Amino acid sequence: MAPKMSKTALLPRTAPFGDQERAHLDAALGTATPIQRAWLTGFLAGLDAAAGQPAAATAAAPAAPPKAAEPLTILFASESGNSEKLASDVSKLARKQGFKPKVVDFAELDLATLPKVGKLVAIAATWGEGEPPARAVRAYGELMGDGAPRLDGVEFGVLALGDTSYAEFCAIGKALDARFEALGAKRAYDRADLDLDFEKPAADWIKGALKALAPAEAPAGNVVAVDFRAAGGEDEEAELSREPVVVEVIDHVNLNSSRSDKETIHLALEFEDGAPAYEPGDSLEIFPENDPQLVEEILKATGLSGDEALRKALLAERDITTLSPTTVERFAKATGHADAQAFVDSGEVKAWIEGRHLIDLLERFPATLTADHLTTVTRPLPPRAYSIASSRKEVGDEVHLTIAAVRYETHGRARSGVASVHVADRIKNGAKLRVRVKPNKHFRLPSDPATDIIMVGPGTGVAPFRAFVQERRATEAPGRSWLFFGDRHFTHDFLYQLEWQDALEDGSLTQIDVAFSRDQPEKIYVQDRIDAHAAEVVAWLDGGAHFYVCGDAKNMAKDVHAAVVRAFQTVKGLSASDAEAHVASLERAKRYQQDVY
Amino acid sequence: MDDHKPIDTPDGPALETPGAGARRFEAPPSDLPITEAEAARLAGLAHNEHLKIASGYLRGGLADGLLKHATGAISEDDGQLVKFHGMYMQDDRDIRAERTKKKLEKAFSFMIRLRIAGGVVTPKQWLALDQIATTYANGTLRATTRQTFQYHGVIKSNLKRTMAAIDAVLLDTIAACGDVNRNVMAATNPAQAGAHKVAYQLAKDISDSLLPKTNAWREIWLDGERVVGGEEEFEPVYGKTYLPRKFKTVVAVPPSNEVDIFAHDLGFIAILDKKNKVTGWNVTVGGGMGMTHGESDTFPRTADVMGFCAPQDALKVAEAVMTVQRDWGNRKNRKNARLKYTIERFGLDAFRAEVENRIGKKLGSPKPFVFDGNGDRYGWVEGDDGRHHLTLYVPSGRIKDVEGGPQFLTGLRRIAEIHEGDFRLTGNQNVIIANVPAGKRAEIEALVDQYAMTKGAGALRRNSMACVALPTCGLALAESERYLPDLLTELEESLASHGLQDEEITIRSTGCPNGCARPFIAEIGLVGRGPERYHLYLGAAFDGSRLSKLYREDVTAAEIRGVLDPLFAAYAKDRQLGEHFGDFVIRAGFVSKTTNGPDFHERTGPLKAA
Repeated sequence: MAPKMSKTALLPRTAPFGDQERAHLDAALGTATPIQRAWLTGFLAGLDAAAGQPAAATAAAPAAPPKAAEPLTILFASESGNSEKLASDVSKLARKQGFKPKVVDFAELDLATLPKVGKLVAIAATWGEGEPPARAVRAYGELMGDGAPRLDGVEFGVLALGDTSYAEFCAIGKALDARFEALGAKRAYDRADLDLDFEKPAADWIKGALKALAPAEAPAGNVVAVDFRAAGGEDEEAELSREPVVVEVIDHVNLNSSRSDKETIHLALEFEDGAPAYEPGDSLEIFPENDPQLVEEILKATGLSGDEALRKALLAERDITTLSPTTVERFAKATGHADAQAFVDSGEVKAWIEGRHLIDLLERFPATLTADHLTTVTRPLPPRAYSIASSRKEVGDEVHLTIAAVRYETHGRARSGVASVHVADRIKNGAKLRVRVKPNKHFRLPSDPATDIIMVGPGTGVAPFRAFVQERRATEAPGRSWLFFGDRHFTHDFLYQLEWQDALEDGSLTQIDVAFSRDQPEKIYVQDRIDAHAAEVVAWLDGGAHFYVCGDAKNMAKDVHAAVVRAFQTVKGLSASDAEAHVASLERAKRYQQDVY
Repeated sequence: MDDHKPIDTPDGPALETPGAGARRFEAPPSDLPITEAEAARLAGLAHNEHLKIASGYLRGGLADGLLKHATGAISEDDGQLVKFHGMYMQDDRDIRAERTKKKLEKAFSFMIRLRIAGGVVTPKQWLALDQIATTYANGTLRATTRQTFQYHGVIKSNLKRTMAAIDAVLLDTIAACGDVNRNVMAATNPAQAGAHKVAYQLAKDISDSLLPKTNAWREIWLDGERVVGGEEEFEPVYGKTYLPRKFKTVVAVPPSNEVDIFAHDLGFIAILDKKNKVTGWNVTVGGGMGMTHGESDTFPRTADVMGFCAPQDALKVAEAVMTVQRDWGNRKNRKNARLKYTIERFGLDAFRAEVENRIGKKLGSPKPFVFDGNGDRYGWVEGDDGRHHLTLYVPSGRIKDVEGGPQFLTGLRRIAEIHEGDFRLTGNQNVIIANVPAGKRAEIEALVDQYAMTKGAGALRRNSMACVALPTCGLALAESERYLPDLLTELEESLASHGLQDEEITIRSTGCPNGCARPFIAEIGLVGRGPERYHLYLGAAFDGSRLSKLYREDVTAAEIRGVLDPLFAAYAKDRQLGEHFGDFVIRAGFVSKTTNGPDFHERTGPLKAA
């Protein structure tokens, strides 16, 4: 059926189209923005030329000479891949709206180019205790430093990603936003600070930002030059489905000995309809459930024990642990609890929530709540991503994960990591889990299988390297591989020990060096092993080896980075800054990659 | 005293093994000693012999094995060699079952045994040994049945640090295990200060002179320099093949047989004059405990008294006995390689003749001696030099802190911090705080009380010994150290019910028949067969001079009390004045008497219902 004829028909009846085609075109063009129309003009003008055909002699000359599409630089600082994904979304939408988008990773940012970008969207994740993502550290530091160039004439918008469960929520986004302005750039669209449930608000922000950044008035009849070669250029890897899939747990083993203080679960998941096309280096997101006991405590504290629907929602859908200043504010507002409001006003919230969870708040300010209150106060339960520990070439339709159970005590109450303890305690062989693959194209084996690799992965950081070694075994990659592993005790915490022994035997692992921190009086860590092997590490890297780090971002990744810098200093007699620069060049060349958390 | 011992023959000591006249012995080898070429030529040599030859004086692949970081183990062959360095590779058998599923190899660690001649340790050394135990080992010091300490649970990555720490207090672990002269034991008898000094000095001299000369230990564990290109290393006494099997030497001072002289390859019994001065030594040879279940050509054996030597000849005799065994011992079959089998094979006379040949003189006839037991004297003793000595009862030699119980680890550490004398380890796994000046006694006594350290125990318990067995020992077939205390409690109840609670009865248990706790010369011996299953041996002499006899096979742990209780009842009722339990069960006809090794496996089982 033909669409309804637009009330404001653009195309004259004399146009060389049938009625139906004319109606379609009117429908599309009638709602098009000026910039879209300009783009279309350029597109049609260029189409035949691009196809190598001479423009039809009868074609009317364009109403105006083509104008270059509005360039838009989309800068992202990503750790887990969320910012990067959003940058790609911005790029797609911007292209549709007639921009000429260019996505730039903070890791590769050349600061000198920034003053010339014109329009700028920055999407930045905040990591750990208010830190930039590891790959962004260098450029972020330069931008914040005295040597940063002026950005007069640049128009920008910042989208900040964060996690309200950390104290310095969206700190990096906030800092960038302020810094761009301080350097003379003009804020075209207000910053948004988004929590883990960012997808919907991010989409809204992107729309708004692009509208704000669009040229104020695209003159009618303007023509945007369309670059036909750019199409699809930025999405090299096929996109995997974002729809969660239900998988079956076929192996569930605590890898630590029964004498260990630690509990690290090796989980093998089977995809009934074939595993998605994940690559070594990718992560798998698990959709966890909350601790049923905690759900009961919350229902009890709020007087809602009778609400079955709520019980289900709290179990599987809401984040019932995180306590942020926002949570407290929302709680006070939603409940109208006077004491809670007074507490918010006191300014003591930030200090008090340290090490506390939602249940502590509910118990401190007893109130009978409604289910809606709880939904308002909590955020959706986010999935948790774990580095995949297997290669499809070796395990077929399975995905293996290595998950450390997080358990600790604060303020007299036992706490546990939602996903890790769900997996450790409540998932057994045969159980089902909802999961989806989260690609990480910044953590990839070298494309040349002959390239050597050095892998530093203490604790569960070893997971992706199990995938790497499986992959290199399956592909019979001739490159050498060297693993640095560490944990607490050799005897009790040597994750996948027998597999590494086999890998050494069959040659898929060339060398392993281990650091067990608690086997001797002084702590020994992986960076100490790197120090001890500085000459060999430098020789491998000089020979083209790729260097990978996975695991703890707060200390380990920095210490390892420092150790590699130190290695270049001591082995090659470089100054500290030259050694830093050398490692930075490795990072830019994607030969020093990190997957840290 | 058992009647097979030469001392008991009416015309003075006999010079032959019993029944020698009726037996035919093989002719001893003629060209001696064996050369490397000869060893290689003999295709039938045991695997360990080839290992020793190829090891480059005990180096093997140990240095490289330490660099293999993915495994806590060393190669099987190096596992044999490392014994010569005082170590056994073991694994925690309690958690063995879970390991493969967890993608972990066995929980390997090393037992490290020290060489402490005569068991004498200074307070400074004690503190260092304590520190090592809590830093690198499983937090305990284990006093062994051979007057030394061993550590358990040292992982491969800590071996070198541990050795360095041991070396720092002038101790080592060289030849604490392996086919060499092991730790030399000496009587501790603190009451006879003079004789003890002489006995200790002989033990120390033998230990020093029969120590392997290879630099491998320093090189591997202390990063000592390797002798390269220079003079080739030389083992003047041992040669490249060392001994056919382990070789254990002890020095005893009667009347105490605390070192269990009859259970060892070579022994010296001090012959004292009226002033307790040592006038010379009776030399014993051919004792040993180890055997294999189900192989009757393997058996424990009590040593023979071979002869007497003057004090100045003792060291030469020791070396000669060891070298004759080096050359005559069976190198084809390790289960038949101990000196006891060499003596059985060639006869005591031939053996003595060769020893005399090598020392260039005849041995004298053994002198009379009397032993009154093989246990320790607990509590305080004042020596003839006015010094005070306190023997503590350390259950199974395990120096550790027990919550709510004895705190031997902390307590002895505190004592070591203030002690001016020394410490002595006994052959019964106990500790003597020795050479305490009278003025210091009260202070030490107070610490002993403060840390609930035991100066004795019930009669059965203080005469008990257990080997380590599970979970660390790879040979164990059943529990020993972890089980014996509970069994003792059961048996103490049983004994008390018959009014026997104060009777001194020796009881020893081992997890396997290799005999570390010398179970075959205990009046009640339990030898592990399988989980919670033991062979029960009875009828040994209280002074350790006669072997026991297998009384019941495969008794379960739950059955032991029930088997022994009627025997205790009979003993309470029918014993003669001063008669020991081991002698009683033979006289009363419950079990056959074992004459010596070769008839150990004869006439086993209960002779009548108890």
